[in-house]
Amino acid sequence: MRDQKDKSPVSRRDFLSTVGVAAGAGIAAASGTAAYFAGPRPASAAPKVKGNIKDTPYKTGHITFLTGPANLLGEPGRKGHLLAAEEINAEGGLLGKRKIETIVADESAGTDANVKELRRMKLSEKIDLFTGVISSGNTPALGPVAEELGVLTLFNDGCTDFLFDKAVPNPKYVFRVTNIQSADGITSAIGAARAWPHAKKVASIQPDYSYGRNVHEHFMLAYKAMVPGAESVAEAWPKLFSTDFTPHITKLLSAGPDLLICGLWGGDYVAFYKQALRYGLFDKMKVATTLAFGGQPHAIGKDHPEGVLAGVHANYFFLHPGNKRWPINDSFVQRYYKRWNEYPSFESDGAYTALYLLKSAIERANHLVGGWPDDEAIISQLEGLGIDSPAGYVYIRPDNHQGYKDSAIGMTKNVPDYQFPVWDPKSVITISIRDITAPPNWPKPGQGHEESTAAANWLKTTWINNKA
Amino acid sequence: MSLLRPTGDGLSVKRSLALAAPLAVLLAVIPQLVDAYMTQLLTYGLIFGIAALGFNLLLGYTGLLSFGHSAYFGLGAYTAAFMVKYLGVGSMELYILGGIAVTAVVTAAFGYVCVGYTRIFFGILTLALSQVLWTLAYKFFWVTGGTDGIRVAYGKMTLLAGLVDFTGPGSYQRFIGAYYYYTLVLFALCVVLMWVIVHSPFGKALQAIRDNETRARFLGIGVRKYRLIAFLISGLFAGLAGTLWVPLNGLVTPDIVYWPFSGEIVFMTVLGGFRTFSGPIIGAIVFNFLKTYAVASTAYWQAALGIVLVILVMALPAGIVGGLKQVAGAWRARGRGDGAP
Repeated sequence: MRDQKDKSPVSRRDFLSTVGVAAGAGIAAASGTAAYFAGPRPASAAPKVKGNIKDTPYKTGHITFLTGPANLLGEPGRKGHLLAAEEINAEGGLLGKRKIETIVADESAGTDANVKELRRMKLSEKIDLFTGVISSGNTPALGPVAEELGVLTLFNDGCTDFLFDKAVPNPKYVFRVTNIQSADGITSAIGAARAWPHAKKVASIQPDYSYGRNVHEHFMLAYKAMVPGAESVAEAWPKLFSTDFTPHITKLLSAGPDLLICGLWGGDYVAFYKQALRYGLFDKMKVATTLAFGGQPHAIGKDHPEGVLAGVHANYFFLHPGNKRWPINDSFVQRYYKRWNEYPSFESDGAYTALYLLKSAIERANHLVGGWPDDEAIISQLEGLGIDSPAGYVYIRPDNHQGYKDSAIGMTKNVPDYQFPVWDPKSVITISIRDITAPPNWPKPGQGHEESTAAANWLKTTWINNKA
Repeated sequence: MSLLRPTGDGLSVKRSLALAAPLAVLLAVIPQLVDAYMTQLLTYGLIFGIAALGFNLLLGYTGLLSFGHSAYFGLGAYTAAFMVKYLGVGSMELYILGGIAVTAVVTAAFGYVCVGYTRIFFGILTLALSQVLWTLAYKFFWVTGGTDGIRVAYGKMTLLAGLVDFTGPGSYQRFIGAYYYYTLVLFALCVVLMWVIVHSPFGKALQAIRDNETRARFLGIGVRKYRLIAFLISGLFAGLAGTLWVPLNGLVTPDIVYWPFSGEIVFMTVLGGFRTFSGPIIGAIVFNFLKTYAVASTAYWQAALGIVLVILVMALPAGIVGGLKQVAGAWRARGRGDGAP
C-alpha cells in the first residue's frame, strides 16, 4: 500500500497485518473494551441495543467546498464522511437500524447562501445532523443559525477560535471535531523554533481574512516567546482564493527575512509555491507553513522543495503515526485508499471521526436511556467524549464543545514510494495539545481581557511573562 | 406621446389595482399554505424585490446602469449591524430609521459624483465607489468584524416598538411568521410609492431623459438634478432592503457589499424584465429561488445560473414579465382576429 506504483493497494504483508488488527479488535471486544473507536468492528464487539429502534434513515446535511481552490480540502472531507457512513451502514446503520443518508451542498456559494442552505436542510429536508464546513469564515455564521434551529451539528473544520470564544459562547447543539485554530500558528512556531532557532527576521504571507490573521498573531506570539529577538520584517496579505502571488513574493524577497510563515491553503498554497519556485524563494529563506499538507496529499507535486515545515492544520497526516504504531490509522488509510484511490488528509480524518464520535455517543446514550436517544441525550454523551481516531486520541471538551488532539508537524521530503512529498519521519514532532491551547474555562475575549482569542491571552500571560 | 409612456406599462390606476389586489391577497395567505422554510425564502424574495425595484428606477426609467447597488444595500445592512454592536439597539423601527438616514447621506454624496456621467462611465464609477465601501468593510476588521461579519440575532430584536419579540422555543418559526408580514407591508408600501413615482410628472421626466437627453434638456428638464433625485430614491430603496435583510440573514459580512452582489441585483432585474414595472420584483423572487435550489442540487450551480442567463438573453430579451406580456398581447390580438397577416 505504501508503494503507489503498486496498482493493488493491498499487499500481502498489509493484508496479514490487517487480519492482525481485526483479530486484535476481536480479542479486545471479548473483554468489552473495543466498542468505541473510529473504524468498523466485528459484530461481536457491538454493544447490545436497548429497546426498539425504528429503521428510518438518519439524515445528514454536509456543506463543503465542492468547487474552487478550496475543493482540495472539501473533497477529502466529503470522502471521509461518506466512508464512515458506508462503514456504519454496512453494520446496519446507527444502533444497527438507522442508515445514514447524506445530502451535500457547495460551500463556495458564499456565507449567506450557506445560511439559507442550512435552513433548507433543517426545515425542508428535516436533517437529523449537520456536518462538514471548511472555512473559518462560515462556521461563525452557521453556528448561531444551527443553535437557533436546534440542529445537532458537528463541524469538521472551520476551526476559528472566534466560533466558541464569541459567536456561540455557550454552545448546546454545535460541536467541532478538528483542532482549534490558534493551535495552528503555535504548532508551526514550535516546529520552526526547534528547526531554526536562530531565524530572527520573520516575514509572513497569509490569506487576508480571519484565518490568516489568527495564524499570524499566534505564530508571532509563540515564536517571539521562544526565539528572543525575533521580529516581523514583512507582511503580505493576498486575498483568499487569489491566483497571482507575484507582487507578494517580490515584497517578501525584498525584505530579506530568515524565515517565512505561510498560512495559505488549498489551491492558494499550490499556486503560491509554484510561483515562489520561479523566484527561488525557498533557497533564500526557511519556510514554515500551517497547511502545506492540508489538502489531498497528491495536490502537492514532487517539485515542492524539501525541508519545508509542512503543517496539517495542527491535526493529521496519513503517515503519522506510522510504522504500524497506531493500527487504527494503518487500517483507515488502507480502507480509504481502497474506496477512493487516494490518500486521506486531515479533513478526511476529521469528517470520518465526526461520524464515529456521533455513533459512540448514540450507543452510549442508548445504553443509558434505551430506544432512540433524543438530541439532549446524545449531546450529554458527546460532551466529554473521547475516542481513538486515525489521528490519535480525540477529546470533546464539555466547556466549549471543541475537539482536541495532540498536534503534529514535519518537514517535507521526497521519497520513492510516493508521487508527492511526504513528511520526513525523522523530522515529525508531536506536541501535547495541553501545551499549546488555553485550558478549560480560560477567560474569553471580553471577560477581563480584549485579546482576539482566549489562546492569545493565555499565551501572553503564561508564555511570555513566565518564561522558565 | 409614446416616448413619454413607459414601454409596455401603460396601465390605468383601475386596471393596476385590479391586477395587484389578487396578488396582494395571494401573498397574504401564502404563509398559511407553505412551511416556514418557503415563507423564509419568499421573505428574502420580497426584500430583494424592494432592492431591484429601486435599482430599476435608474435602469428602466432613467436609463442608467448602476453596477454598485450592493453599496447601498450594504449600507442599510451595516447600519443596523453597527446599531446592534455599538449601541445595543434592539428595535427594527430604529434600524430602519438609522439605515435610511445613513444611506441617504452616502447615496447623495455618491450620486453627486456619478450622475454627471452616463453609460459605461456611470457604471464604472458606481462600481468603483461600491468597492471603496467593500474595502472598508473588509479591511477595517476591528470595527466591522471583517469576514467574520457582525451578527444581528432576531432573538435580541423586537418589531413594532417592542410589541413583538422572539424568545423561547420555536422562536425561529414564530420569527419567520411575523417577519414575513412585516416585510410584506413595507414591500407593499414601496411598490405603491414607486408606482406613484414612475407615473408622476417626475417619473415621466426621467423617462424623457432616458429616451432623449438632449430633447429633455430643451424641454426645460434639469437633467442632472432629476438624475440625482432618481439616484437617491433608488439607493434608499436598496438601503431599506439591506436593513430588512440583516435580521433575516442573521449576519452581515463584506460579501453583501462586494461587486458580485451588485451583479445579482442586475441579474434579478434583467431576469424579470427591466422594461416593465413588476419585472424586477418577479425577477428578484425567481432569482432567489433559482439560486437557492441551484446551490442545493448541484455543485455546478454557477454554471446552472450562467446557462439560465444566456438562455434568457437569447430567448426572452424582455425578461419573464416582458415575455409574458408579449405572449398575452399576441394571444389577445389573435382573439380579436387581427393577428393573422
